[in-house]
Amino acid sequence: MIARRGPRPTAERLRRLLVMLPWLMERGEVPVAEMAERFGLTEAQLVSDIELVSMCGLPPYLDELIDVWIDDGVVSTGIPRVFTKPLRLTAPEGFALLAAARVALQLPGAEPDGALARALEKLAAALGDVVVVDQPQPPATADITDAAERGARLRVTYWSATADGASERVITPRRVFLDRGRWYVIADDHRSGQERTFRVDRIEQWAPTGEVDPPRAVAAPTADEWFLDDDLRTARLELPAAAGWVVERYPVRTVEQRGERLVVELAVTDERWLRELLLRLGSGATVLAPDEWRHLGAEAAAGLLARYEGAGSDAS
Amino acid sequence: MADALERITNLVALLLETRAPLTLEQIANELRGQYPPGEAALRGAFERDKAMLREIGVPIDSEVLAGSDAGKTAYRIDRRRYELAELELADDERRALQMAVAAARLSDGDFGLLKLGADGGASSIVVANVPDDPALPALREAAAQHAEVAFGYRGRARRLQPYAVLLRDGTWYVIGHDVEYDAVRTYRVDRIEDGVTVGDDATFERPADFDVRSVFPTDPKLLGDEPASRAVVRVDAPRAAWVVAAMGEGAVQHTHADGGVEVEVPCANIDAFRSWLFGLGEHAEVVSPPEVRAAVVAWLREMVGAR
Repeated sequence: MIARRGPRPTAERLRRLLVMLPWLMERGEVPVAEMAERFGLTEAQLVSDIELVSMCGLPPYLDELIDVWIDDGVVSTGIPRVFTKPLRLTAPEGFALLAAARVALQLPGAEPDGALARALEKLAAALGDVVVVDQPQPPATADITDAAERGARLRVTYWSATADGASERVITPRRVFLDRGRWYVIADDHRSGQERTFRVDRIEQWAPTGEVDPPRAVAAPTADEWFLDDDLRTARLELPAAAGWVVERYPVRTVEQRGERLVVELAVTDERWLRELLLRLGSGATVLAPDEWRHLGAEAAAGLLARYEGAGSDAS
Repeated sequence: MADALERITNLVALLLETRAPLTLEQIANELRGQYPPGEAALRGAFERDKAMLREIGVPIDSEVLAGSDAGKTAYRIDRRRYELAELELADDERRALQMAVAAARLSDGDFGLLKLGADGGASSIVVANVPDDPALPALREAAAQHAEVAFGYRGRARRLQPYAVLLRDGTWYVIGHDVEYDAVRTYRVDRIEDGVTVGDDATFERPADFDVRSVFPTDPKLLGDEPASRAVVRVDAPRAAWVVAAMGEGAVQHTHADGGVEVEVPCANIDAFRSWLFGLGEHAEVVSPPEVRAAVVAWLREMVGAR
């Protein structure tokens, strides 16, 4: 865990102590540096917590104290006392572990009878088995993940919404991630020479080229930073309250309530995407800015309407 | 006066080790000099300590005494409820959980791992951004404990006997028996208003044959109160392969010479249907039934008119 600096709230310190002490009591002695790193503390923070705890225990606070001390960079404990077992899992911790295990069991490469499945079985037996995850993978997901693990280059046929057509390119997958029910791969795109993010369900064909690139660490975006790249353009939309799902579904930069309506600022990856969004929102949504997108929804609707009303349709 | 952390640590130790529940007076007497003097200040500090302990998950039992201390509340911590149940995880199982938490990145997972003797900080090539919602832990626990829950949803108070929570397509749902409707219902967790109130444990039975996946509509376009209906949509050649891959060959009604297809699509939930349809841009057109086609045309005309 990563240590954070600055003053720590009492609740956070206590929460950690109730896990740290039993862990230490089971081991007897541990170097300060190792213990601090494991529990996400700086060494100074750990030392001050251990010193404080060494004065705690049972009344009259003379001989029945928590038996811990630091000597020569090593934390030691004598007779295990009071805090011999960690505090039970809280509801959020229990949920997080069960949900993480259930999600991970559906990730590419998971073995249905492997160690994770056994761990999940034990957790579910203790906490109750009521979390279900149903996360289908597009056909390419497993092979793309495998390529990311090996740094293998792939030749892919990719459907691009921006270009409205399929193109062939060579990529080296680096990181695979799932966001809001969709799979993405971050890859080195050898056509543009840049790192690009692709939707896995739009990879229509894929095959290894036989080349392997050296490993390169790539961070996967968290749900909040996804699409919040500063280079992206933004649009201001006014929406009816019923279209609040936009806020849930897409990361918005700002949300403002105006009576019954919402004004949101939304990152726009490409114009085609915004056009589709406006079609889904219908006449209740208005683009406030920028000017060039004010009529985008109406134009998109007119274009599509021509198909329904024009000669192009062979529907009877 | 002692540091607050020192006092609370001593309080937890005292309540864990005590044989009989202790009243606030007894606690203050044992932790002499650690609580501020004066009845009101003592009470205030103790309530804050209790709130903090509850926040980090320390279960405190309280009971109202009879006899000479009649009417007074006494406190203790039951060790059996305080301590983590031994899960007996093998090393490889612990490592697998570490990888799972690294992949799913749920905020409380790392701390849960520490309690299980595993380490946070693993990293994974595959990462899943799983939506986190403050109502989920309570809903999950209520489903596990068979406790009824109450919450607001679309401006209405609901009472639900939760059977399970389900993550599908990036959205969490809670599924259970709705007490007022007297039927199994599915609710989106992120649309729950004003938090969840959890009732007493063990107040209902989950039907033995209950299966979330069979209760939940397999396709979001089927979610809705209307009877299931279907539309035929023509999809042009550029998107045809993608649509067929997603929906299966069984959905294809007709293949045109130019590579376009006509597919049958559920449209009971018109919002979900429209999302899907417009996601295909100008490459899709509703062929039938006439009322669905007319609804799409009306929707588009209204947009053009609003210009």
